[in-house]
This record gives sequence, structure tokens and C-alpha cells, in this order.
Amino acid sequence: MSRAVTPVQNPADAVATHLVRAGYARCEPPILQPASIFFDSGEDLRGQLYLTSDLSGAEYCLRPEYTIPVSRHYLASGAAGQSATYSYCGPVFRYAAGQSSEFTQAGVESFGRQDSEAADAEILTLALDAASAVRTLDLSVRIGDAGLFSGLLAALDLAPEWRRRIARGHSQGKSVAAILNASRIGAGRDHSGVLGMLEGADKQGARAFVEDLLSIAGIASVGGRTPAEIADRFLEQAALRSGVGVSAEKVAIIERFLRIEGDPDSASAQLRQLAGEANLDLAAPLEALDTRLGFIAALGFDVAALRFEASFTRNLDYYTGFVFEAHDRTRPDQKPVVAGGRYDQLLQTLGAARAIPAVGAAIWIDRLGESPSAGGQRA
Amino acid sequence: MSDTLVLAVPSKGRLQENAAAFFARAGLDIVQGRGARDYRGQLAGLKDVEIAFLSAADIVAQLASGNVHMGVTGEDLVRETLADADEKVALLTPLGFGGANVVVAAPRAWIDVRTMADLEDVAASFRARRGERMRVATKYINLTRRFFAKMHVSDYRIVESSGATEGAPAAGQAELIVDITTTGATLAANALKILDDGVILRSQANLVASLGADWSGPARESARAILSRIAAEEEARTTREVTTALANPAPALIAAAEAQFSARLRYRAADGRLTLNCPQDKVAPLADWLIAQGADHVSVAALDYVFSAANPLYEKLVSRLAGAKMK
Repeated sequence: MSRAVTPVQNPADAVATHLVRAGYARCEPPILQPASIFFDSGEDLRGQLYLTSDLSGAEYCLRPEYTIPVSRHYLASGAAGQSATYSYCGPVFRYAAGQSSEFTQAGVESFGRQDSEAADAEILTLALDAASAVRTLDLSVRIGDAGLFSGLLAALDLAPEWRRRIARGHSQGKSVAAILNASRIGAGRDHSGVLGMLEGADKQGARAFVEDLLSIAGIASVGGRTPAEIADRFLEQAALRSGVGVSAEKVAIIERFLRIEGDPDSASAQLRQLAGEANLDLAAPLEALDTRLGFIAALGFDVAALRFEASFTRNLDYYTGFVFEAHDRTRPDQKPVVAGGRYDQLLQTLGAARAIPAVGAAIWIDRLGESPSAGGQRA
Repeated sequence: MSDTLVLAVPSKGRLQENAAAFFARAGLDIVQGRGARDYRGQLAGLKDVEIAFLSAADIVAQLASGNVHMGVTGEDLVRETLADADEKVALLTPLGFGGANVVVAAPRAWIDVRTMADLEDVAASFRARRGERMRVATKYINLTRRFFAKMHVSDYRIVESSGATEGAPAAGQAELIVDITTTGATLAANALKILDDGVILRSQANLVASLGADWSGPARESARAILSRIAAEEEARTTREVTTALANPAPALIAAAEAQFSARLRYRAADGRLTLNCPQDKVAPLADWLIAQGADHVSVAALDYVFSAANPLYEKLVSRLAGAKMK
């Protein structure tokens, strides 16, 4: 016979309590949100929304995530631009075929802190601690830095369109070689005559040329892009064709960079070595990486137990710096239980007058349960 | 148990006429109720079958919910409306009418854009320059999302459009469109072009079976009867009967006719007379070849029906139902 000695707190309450005690004031935006605020997050998320509309025709959805509503709360609070921290815990709704579409999510957001690396470290350690408040977890934690990757592309002095292409291709899981080849094939396939003419042409000449082409062909200019934009893209491709693209040397550097992974301190050393050998100015992002690791260690975490991967950037459209995710080692097939990162651009797209530093993490309460197979091993 | 098989057919327009003609060709005459306004009917000679006249969109919904057993509707509507179409319905056979393609079309003035890869590139730089996503006008929201995701195009935003979608770019409501087209003439008239790899779906009217309907009892037998007539008509329509006489038709010769002309042996008499079935477009080469093998005459006849013990449409239905039950 057993007796209940202490009332067992449910996992959501345990996590929420932990976050509030850490000084992150609870913020619970309404479940019913204006749908349009999520539309700029892309059609993928939009396709998962539970939509409804009221009699006036205004469109609403069930909250699919917390970060945008909490950010809007912060921007409307009068504290915008100042340092503020929030926590949340409640249901989010996303359509997932064949699965439950209601999840419990907890999390934290930290806005406006200028000491970014300290804030990064605090968010990581707090989120991991909060998840562990439910039960002892065996977590494998992966960290990366989108700022390092974009810093590398900038230090290589690549044209902006190349940086964009490589960053985008990387998000899609393509290798650098595949990204570069795809662009070459695309450029060489059809318009080699036009591109040949435009090689080395100036912008004005190219624009006039495209305008003439359209008028000779009798094509009305409709829809969004101007002849100038079309001309600019032809120029881009012409430059690509003549090899003013990415040298083999630079490709090798990017590939070497993306292969660096392992214990964070040795990864940092390898990155410094690469920067030194390739004569790249990565001082600022590397300094940020080491400072962040220092803060993580200072908060009592074993840095060597984290795994750094240079290729781990999460969604480059959204995350601008530190990124991390933690998986339950006893449930390797499951999605991460904790994930987060730095998103310094979001608040401006939500209407802030200027960029406001922001970093946050989400904890998936429904994934914190014990693995069914592990149940027997514990007393 | 389901005593009556419910077959849904379009209630108006060209789709209705084509569907009625299709069933009539298979010897299945649709008898409308007391007047043209009655929304229930029957198939002449099959008493356990009820015809439901519905809109094409309703047919998809009723198939998905299992309220009707079979229906005639466009594949575009099936794929657009049902996220998990293959879990809920089986497309038994295309019907040869109602053909149209769902395509991605961009302004013709975008002379640098020919493929979805170009579009991906342009969409990303459009967003980088303007801070806004490129807009795609369409009523095919789900088909568009799935196709664009497959093609790695993410920097876009859908603008719902329920009619005259092709006018959206000229009206400044969108940069490009996803729409249905048969000849492309409407697109051309609106200064739009289809991207080279921008055909999302080649759609036509299909005979579609619901996997969630009650298929126990007489409904299944009625389906077998209907599908056997449709298969018999389809086989007859697409093949010709070829009769000839050869002095000594060796098995190797018949195997060669099968391999080269997809001909199938139907009948072979001891005196060398042969009857073969052969796809319509291979009839002439087969006849030439038979004469070269020593035949004096080759006669070819069109058939009304070819009933077979094996009924591929019914077998498809049964196997899909079995697959659905296992899940």
C-alpha cells in the first residue's frame, strides 16, 4: 500500500512555476488572435492555422505559437525598447495530419537586453532547468550560431545575392556545391545570348536593353517587378556566368566551416584556426561565441556536455544568432523538448521603430513524459 | 449493411452532360426523377443504385465523409479539398473529359523567369528588396502550398481568389497566379505564361470511390456490376478486334505480336484462324506485320463491349478498400 505523501504537480505547472520564480513574469495572450499577424511567418505556418471569422468578417485564429503574441504584448506595453522578460505556458494549436493538433507549450522571451551573450546563456540554462523541473531528463543539447554563418559569408566578401542564395540553400539542406551548381545550370540553360550581351554591362544600359526587349516583343509590363528589377537579375546571372561568383577557394572555406562540430571549446579553436588560415575577419562573432560559452559555464553548466555544430542554424529567415535545441536521449525519434534562439529582427517586422534584441525558448510539455520503455528502469 | 449504392454525378453544366454520356456509353442510362429539378435518379436496369445529383465540390465532400459510394468529379477538386486524398478516396479511372491543368503562371514580362527555380530566386530577392512577400492569387490554396513547398519556394503569400484569378496580376492584387487552364488562351490574353515546370496537376474528371462508405452487402455487388460494364466499354473503346488466318501460327508468332503490338490472343482455331485484341493505334502496324507473316486478309472490327472475368476497376476498388481497412 502506498500513500500520497506530497501532491504531485502536473508538468505544465511545474515548468510555469519555475519560470516565474526565475523572474520571468507570466504573460498569457488571448487564445483567439488576429490571424493576419501570423501571415508573414510564411505559408507553412499559415497552412497549420485554425481559422475562424466573426460577423464583421475579421479573421481570427487559435494561437499557433506564443512568440509573436508575447512580442506584440511587449511592444504595446510601453516598455518597448527597454529590457523586459516574459514567460508563458498554455495551449497552442496547429494542424498536424493524423496527430493531435493541440499542444501545451511553455517558454520564455527576453527583450531589449544589450548584453546579448549573457541573455543567450540565461535563456538556454533557464529553459533546460525548467524542463528538468518536471523530472530528471537525459538531454542531448545542440547549439549553433546563425551569426557566425552570416559573418563568414560577409567576411568572404560575397555579393549580397550570393550570400542570400547560399543561406537559403543551406536552410533547405543543400550542400554548397549543389547550391552553386544549380545557379550555374539555371543561368546557362536558356538565356546565354542575352547574358553574353550583358556581361560587363552597366546597370543603366541593361535596364534600357530589357525595356527595349519587352517593347519589341510587345509584352505589356504587368505585375510587381519592374523592367529594372528584371535587368538587375540578368546582370546578376551574367556576372555568375563569367565566374565573378564564388571561387573554389571560398567554396572550400565554407565547406570546411560547415564541417566543424563537437565540444564547443575545441570547435571554437577550430573556427579561430580557420579564420586565421583563411585570413578572415571573424573576430566579433568568435568573441561572441566564447563570451556566451563563458556565461553558460558561469551559470554552472558543463559546456563540454553541449555539442556545437557550425552547420546548425535553424531557420535563417528568423534566427539571427545563437540557436539551440535539446532532445531526450531516451526518445531519439521524438522532436526536441526544448528549442530556441536569438531573433533580433522580428520586433522590427512587428512594428518596432528599430531593431530590438530578442532571444527566447520554447518547452514542449507534451514531450517531457517518460519513454514507455524507460518506465521499468526507474524505481 | 448498405442495400443501396449511391452514385454521385454533377448536377449541372457540361460535366453533367459528359458524365451522363459516359455512363450511357457503358449501357448505364441515368434516369432522372420526375423532372429535371429532381436531385435523385436511378440507373436503368439496376434497382439497387441511387443517383445523387450534386455540385462537383459537394461530391468530393460526400465521398470523403462516406455518404456516397462513388462519384464523378475532377481530380483537381479531390487533391485541393482533401489533404489526405489517398486515405479517403480511390481514383478508379480517368474519364477522358473535364480535362484541365492546374498551373503556375507568371507575367510574360518576367522574361528571366522560366522555371520554379527562377521563381524561388526571384521571390527571395523580391522579399529582400521590398520587405514583403510575393503574392500568389489562387483558389487552389492547398495544391499551391504543397507544390511550392516541394519546389522550395517559401517567400510568397497566398491571396485567395474565387473568380477571374487570371486578372489579379494586371489589377495589382498579386504578382502571379495558380489557376486551372485548358488551352492557355485566357492566360495569354492576360499577358501571363505558364512556367516550364509549373504544371502542378494534369486534371480530368475521374470515377472516384469513397473508402469510408459502407461497402458491406449489396452495395458492393452493385459496384461490381457498374464497374464491369464501365471496364467492358473502356476495353472495347480503346481496342480493336483483329481477325486473320495463318497457315501455321506458332506460339512464338503470337508472343511476338504481344511484345511488338501489345496484342492479346482471344481465340485460335485448329485450322489457323486467329482472333486478337489490339490497342486502337497499333492496328495498322499489326495488320501489316501479319500480312508479312503470310496472312492473306486481316479484318478489323470495332466492338461494343468486351466483358472479362477479370475486372481491373473492381479489383482496384477491392484492394484499396482492403488497404484502407488495415490502417
